[in-house]
Amino acid sequence: MIVRIIAWLRGHMFFVKIVCIAVLIGLIVGDLFVPRHHPHFLGDIIPGFWAGFGFIACVLIIIISKWLGTAFLFRPDTYYSANDAKPSEGEMK
Amino acid sequence: MIESLHAGSFFFHPALLFFLGACILPFIKGWVRNVFIIAVPLLSLALVMVLSYGTHWQVQIAGVDITFGRVDRLSLVFAHIFCLMSVIGSLYGMHLKDNWQHVAAWGYVGSAIGCTFAGDYLSLFLFWEGLMITSVCLVWLRGTEESLRAGYRYVLVHTFGGLCLLAGIFILYFKTGDLSFGPMVEGVPVAAWLIMIGFLLNAAVPPLHAWLPDAYGSATVVGSVFMCAYTTKTAVYTLARAFAGYDILIPLGVAMALYGVVYAVLENDTRRLLSYHIISQVGYMVAGVGIGTEMAINGACAHAYAHILYKSLLFMGVGSVVAVTGRSKFSELGGLWKYMPWTFVFTLIGGLSISAFPFFSGFVSKSMVIAGAWQDHLMWAGLLLTLASAGTFLHTGLKVPYFIWFNREEPPFTPPKSEAPWNMLAAMAIAAYFCIMLGCNPNFLYSMLPYPVDYHPYTAAHVMESYQILLFTMLGFFLLLGKLKPKALIGLDIDWFYRKGSVKFMAFCRNVPAAIDNTFITNLHKTVALPLLRFCSRMSSWHDTKVVDGFVDGSADRVLRLSRYLRPFAQPGSLSKYLAGMLTFLATTVLAAVTLALY
Repeated sequence: MIVRIIAWLRGHMFFVKIVCIAVLIGLIVGDLFVPRHHPHFLGDIIPGFWAGFGFIACVLIIIISKWLGTAFLFRPDTYYSANDAKPSEGEMK
Repeated sequence: MIESLHAGSFFFHPALLFFLGACILPFIKGWVRNVFIIAVPLLSLALVMVLSYGTHWQVQIAGVDITFGRVDRLSLVFAHIFCLMSVIGSLYGMHLKDNWQHVAAWGYVGSAIGCTFAGDYLSLFLFWEGLMITSVCLVWLRGTEESLRAGYRYVLVHTFGGLCLLAGIFILYFKTGDLSFGPMVEGVPVAAWLIMIGFLLNAAVPPLHAWLPDAYGSATVVGSVFMCAYTTKTAVYTLARAFAGYDILIPLGVAMALYGVVYAVLENDTRRLLSYHIISQVGYMVAGVGIGTEMAINGACAHAYAHILYKSLLFMGVGSVVAVTGRSKFSELGGLWKYMPWTFVFTLIGGLSISAFPFFSGFVSKSMVIAGAWQDHLMWAGLLLTLASAGTFLHTGLKVPYFIWFNREEPPFTPPKSEAPWNMLAAMAIAAYFCIMLGCNPNFLYSMLPYPVDYHPYTAAHVMESYQILLFTMLGFFLLLGKLKPKALIGLDIDWFYRKGSVKFMAFCRNVPAAIDNTFITNLHKTVALPLLRFCSRMSSWHDTKVVDGFVDGSADRVLRLSRYLRPFAQPGSLSKYLAGMLTFLATTVLAAVTLALY
């Protein structure tokens, strides 16, 4: 049953995308009509603030993490195993 | 209704059920064993529901009060979820032929429950170490070289934490003479810091966190399902008990929440990614404990409760994939949607719950912590925690399902013939049910929290805010999908210092001191030590020949000469001369005596 549903969705990708975009637009438009009781922060005043926040947060997290990874942290995934196998060799590269 | 169940004075320690059960389990077989595996956790869950408030099972050992059964609202909410989780985890592992995993897991659960009911630091420490010993068995039972090594690292790191805790307990006892486990007393800063370090290590607060992805990524499939629930949440409980309102915990918790998110981007191993998200999620709880208001403590407890359910659900989903396909790396997975659809649905429910989608469990608990931060005017904390929750959805809600079940048309290996075993699916279904149930009926959870709850998560503004953040995160994910393609890489973490650092240290020992020994010390021997020794021996030889021999020989020479002078008188050699000498001596003596007598 689930396989059939997923297969159908995958077969109608264009439709799925249109629905998703409609939902995203609907969220921003809908935000204009939401009552706000105890505004703590800009996000509780500006409509659509959290949409921008979510998008920017996602992009920032990916870019900063990837940068940290490529600049400093990435190693081949055999990094430790090569070391475990031959402890006398010191670092791999 | 809940209150009336806990009235009276009934207490039987639920941990004892698990310990006894673990002793009996290896000796039973067949359907009896399967029933037993479910019955013991269920019985303990029922037991926790009817325990009476108060302190029970107190003994005095060497003048120190030991309390095994301190029951209050804070300990009950943790004991409740620990027992519920043990039902789910035991069901998940029921198909295993290997009873030892269940034995270790029950020992582990019992220790965690022991910690929650411990009323003093000594019994807490006892169960605290029990947690470590039993959980490392769950790592070692995987039986691979990698898990063996990871287990040893796990033991070493936790031994360090345990020793810090023990040192703190000793100092506390000698300063105050009191070992009761409650809010930390004032005036013993060293003890407080040491105890806190012990707790923070188990809560996996950076930089004391690297044991977590290391061990959980290497444990058995069932083992990691258990481990993701207990160690860190026990630590959250102890922090909430002893260090509620300690400001230092707020930045630590927020840093944790973000740290886990950043490292999750870099991770290629499914279970290690989920492990980093444990760190991230426990960050919310630690921050909540640090804020320390009733709302925030409630939030930390609620989040621990919800977290155990959805995180175990995620570990169960991913664990099923590992069990069925034997693979755990994103770069080796994909396209499984046709073959493991139910596992996909359950994992997705876990992903939506951890991401705090409205109507899933994370929404009603995580937002309490963030609301606690807003309420306490900690704007930066609230904002950064919200940022981390976007990252949570990015990875656990999107990356995990997408790269395991989609990404490719077909899996890059022979597709599995069937889904996971029925008991695994059933356990996932129960966890998924609770995830949705808590999201839709938060009062079930709120009624168990330590303080009365005056919080309503389902306001239009809050639901709108959550949907905006999450769905626009999804937009960002699909736009940047290319950047997230998994590669066979790992990200270095703090464990580098003891995994590579120890190798470097050994290499250093081999190279530097050995080189110093070979070149400098050897040369020193040749150029300084040997000539010095030779000089000394020459001097001693000269002294021997000139001084000692001169003295001895000289005195012998004198004696010889003197005796030669005396010889003609003392030893003349003829009887007449001896006689003459003796008579002379006698005559002289008599003469002298007569002379003396006369005068």
